[in-house]
Amino acid sequence: MSMKSKTDVIIIGGGATGCGIARDLALRGVPHYLLEEGDFARGATGACHGLLHSGARYAVSDSEAAKECIEENRILRRIGKKCIEQTGGLFVRLPGDSKKFRDRFLEKCEEVGIPTQILSPSRALEMVPSLNPELEEAVLVPDCSIDPFRLCLLNIVSSRRRGGVALIHHRVVDIVKERSRCVGVKALDLFTGQVKEIYGKIIINATGAWGDKTARLAGCDVPLTLSKGSLIITDHRLTNMVVNRLRPASNGDIIVPNEAVCVAGTTSVDVPDPDEARLEPWEMELLIQEASQLIPAFSRARIIRGYTGVRPLIRGGCEGDSRRISRSFRIIDHENGLISIIGGKLTTYRYMAEKVTDLVMDKLGLKAPCLTAEYPLEGQEELSGYPLSKRLENLNEIVCECELVGKREVEETVNRIGVRYISDIQHRTRLGMGPCQGGFCTYRALGIIHNMGRISIEESRYILKDFLQRRFRGIRPALWGAQLREEQLVEGIYLRILGLGEE
Amino acid sequence: MEEIYDVVVIGGGMAGLGAAIRLAKEGCHVAVVSRGDPILCLSTGCIDVLASGENPLNGIANLPPQHPYHLVSAEFIKEALAYFLNEIALGGLPYVGSPEENRHVLTPLGVGKTTCLVPETMAASTAEKESRIHVISFAGLKDFYPSYIMARIPATDLSVYEAGPVSTMFLATQFETDEFLERFLNWLKGTDITADRIAIPAVLGWMRALEIKRMIEEETKRPVFEIPTLPPSVAGIRLHRTLKRRALDLGIQFYLGKPIETVEMAGHLVEAVTLESMGRPTRVNGNAFILATGSFVSGGLLSQREGVTEGVFRLPVFYPPDRATWFGENFFPPEHPIEDAGVLVDEEFRPRAVEIDNLFVAGSILAYARVLRYGCGHGMAIVTGQAAASSCLKYLKVAAQGDTCSRTV
Repeated sequence: MSMKSKTDVIIIGGGATGCGIARDLALRGVPHYLLEEGDFARGATGACHGLLHSGARYAVSDSEAAKECIEENRILRRIGKKCIEQTGGLFVRLPGDSKKFRDRFLEKCEEVGIPTQILSPSRALEMVPSLNPELEEAVLVPDCSIDPFRLCLLNIVSSRRRGGVALIHHRVVDIVKERSRCVGVKALDLFTGQVKEIYGKIIINATGAWGDKTARLAGCDVPLTLSKGSLIITDHRLTNMVVNRLRPASNGDIIVPNEAVCVAGTTSVDVPDPDEARLEPWEMELLIQEASQLIPAFSRARIIRGYTGVRPLIRGGCEGDSRRISRSFRIIDHENGLISIIGGKLTTYRYMAEKVTDLVMDKLGLKAPCLTAEYPLEGQEELSGYPLSKRLENLNEIVCECELVGKREVEETVNRIGVRYISDIQHRTRLGMGPCQGGFCTYRALGIIHNMGRISIEESRYILKDFLQRRFRGIRPALWGAQLREEQLVEGIYLRILGLGEE
Repeated sequence: MEEIYDVVVIGGGMAGLGAAIRLAKEGCHVAVVSRGDPILCLSTGCIDVLASGENPLNGIANLPPQHPYHLVSAEFIKEALAYFLNEIALGGLPYVGSPEENRHVLTPLGVGKTTCLVPETMAASTAEKESRIHVISFAGLKDFYPSYIMARIPATDLSVYEAGPVSTMFLATQFETDEFLERFLNWLKGTDITADRIAIPAVLGWMRALEIKRMIEEETKRPVFEIPTLPPSVAGIRLHRTLKRRALDLGIQFYLGKPIETVEMAGHLVEAVTLESMGRPTRVNGNAFILATGSFVSGGLLSQREGVTEGVFRLPVFYPPDRATWFGENFFPPEHPIEDAGVLVDEEFRPRAVEIDNLFVAGSILAYARVLRYGCGHGMAIVTGQAAASSCLKYLKVAAQGDTCSRTV
């Protein structure tokens, strides 16, 4: 027995673009459903630097993308204060880096409208004392750090408050066609195994790197070049500002502070399948090496995890050198009720959503202006940003010592979203995001859920093993030194104390 | 004249303390140098000899030829374990079980952990799905969730004792006081118990645990057993305290909390280690040395991006050369080649590929031990500790006869 629903617009994909479209449709009063196979921000949205670009990175190579970035940067800083940290960013020129490039960089930034300020080495070192002291100079730009997961959640708040439906852990297994027009989707609830049929007038494919796979369900193609970018995370902040290398875009030249940690990346390697992309050992070495040139302490820092995101780039022209492909985006109207959106960046997600929604309005014959840049993101007042004072309130019941997450927070999250996976709780509370990567607190969090009577033993067994496997794949490339030591301890606890794996 | 120990044992865990006790009982003047509490304190207190199959001793025969167990005979393994159990029993911590029969103790996850020698407070532990257990828990104990057990063993009953926000360590200390114990027993009197056995997290006091267990059994007329908990583990700490007290009773000298700064060599002999200290470094002289500093978690082995090193003597360490292959793809099954890393030794437990006559190596720092994979941690540590001790004794006797170095006893 399957469940049927009707709506106007069906969005496939719960990344920044999909969530942004949901908010835009909601503000224009259009009913919609959003379907996401994992949790929000599962794809490239969650597996990036968490950098709100000033656009300076693209100023020289891609002024169109740079312009979009600086405009959106200004808008997001206005509407999304609670998921953005206004860190500012430095472009650091090291000995040997071209001065000519620096001149062009400044010129192009000015052309596009990105404010810059040249800093002497001593001034730059005052702002970021961990910088390579040999730097020649630095350029200050309005780069920011952004929490992509929180950004998605806030967009969804607007959608839900206006009747939008967003379903996570739902995989679209089929696009239903009638007289060669796409009229609906079949979505499999990955937790219950139930198939839901949802019908709508327009279907939007916002599945990023999975764009072609999704379009194929409707017999369409999406010309994508998939380029993976790998990143690594340190156990603490080595800088309070975004640090970029002032040279043509290359491997490992950006370091971004994010909450309690630092993210360094990326690489750029073409891959055939987004599900198969992994961080390779050579990438780990390269990223540490490159990041250490900007911040020498990076070579001794504890790396807690590595991950890979897959960029969905527009195919054409620059095969073999994905860095040269424009970071701009493209909307493809398949003219059968399906619209695909590809390319783009986290920074420009709102603008991309606006353009897609404009097209949808046109198709539906509706008229309402885009309001997403006008109003602040809703729900920010509830997002406390986890201030320390709040975390310390229930010190007796701290579940995750690394990130100071209390029992009550876990219980509230479980009550609010229902329980699907430990990672759902992690994303919403930061439980297990610290150095031990959930080694200690997962058993506790599941225990709490158990005590709440929310899961069966089969579910709990599956959730725990699934979590440990995923966690392990993330930390595996970073296993040496303190992280290896901790991993062996965690393994000892699960295998030799708890007896997991003996069933 | 500076004091010279017959043997300086580096590492105060299962292997090191076990070796030190055996040497002291043989009349040696022994020092133990330890950085602090060993990871033994994080363990369940159970002695795993080999956690697969029904009979660990038989299973050992099938381990790969490089495994440290194969450096000694089956007879020696039995003898060493019996010797060790006798020592801790003398120290007031009796264990039950046999190295020829594995058993399954109930864990906080509700499954059976395979082990063979367990503290008497866990003797009645059982993990079959059909068992009827009454779990007693403590409100506010954050590392113990009886619902895991209740979900897996359906006929489980539960009672929760209100003791405020507590940790396992705090509860153990509370149980040592008559007032708390009396209150707890009174509460128990009013609790309706129909199950066959009673299970309590391992918090029943420190060295009075067995006595307290028997008091509860008398009160409830049922077998009572403890469930080992996550670290800090009271059952693991009891074992450590017992060993340490036994060592102190035997006149063993402890140097605690001071990292080793330098090693002093004279030809093929280690002469001394110097320890970091508040004032000038402390020098600990010895005629022979045992290295039992453990694997990565204990800090005996150190890993860097470039490779693996041994922390005290910079001994050659065997490890898989390509870091990309250190760990398998998955958490389950735990097939990680890095578990082979360690010091290779000859049949006398001397490190190979270096010429040091008076150094012996024991415990999980040994290459190919694969403690997590095989579940042989404490058993292997005890056996190799005893074996290194007996090689060390042999060496000291020969050295004394040859008068190459004089003993102080």
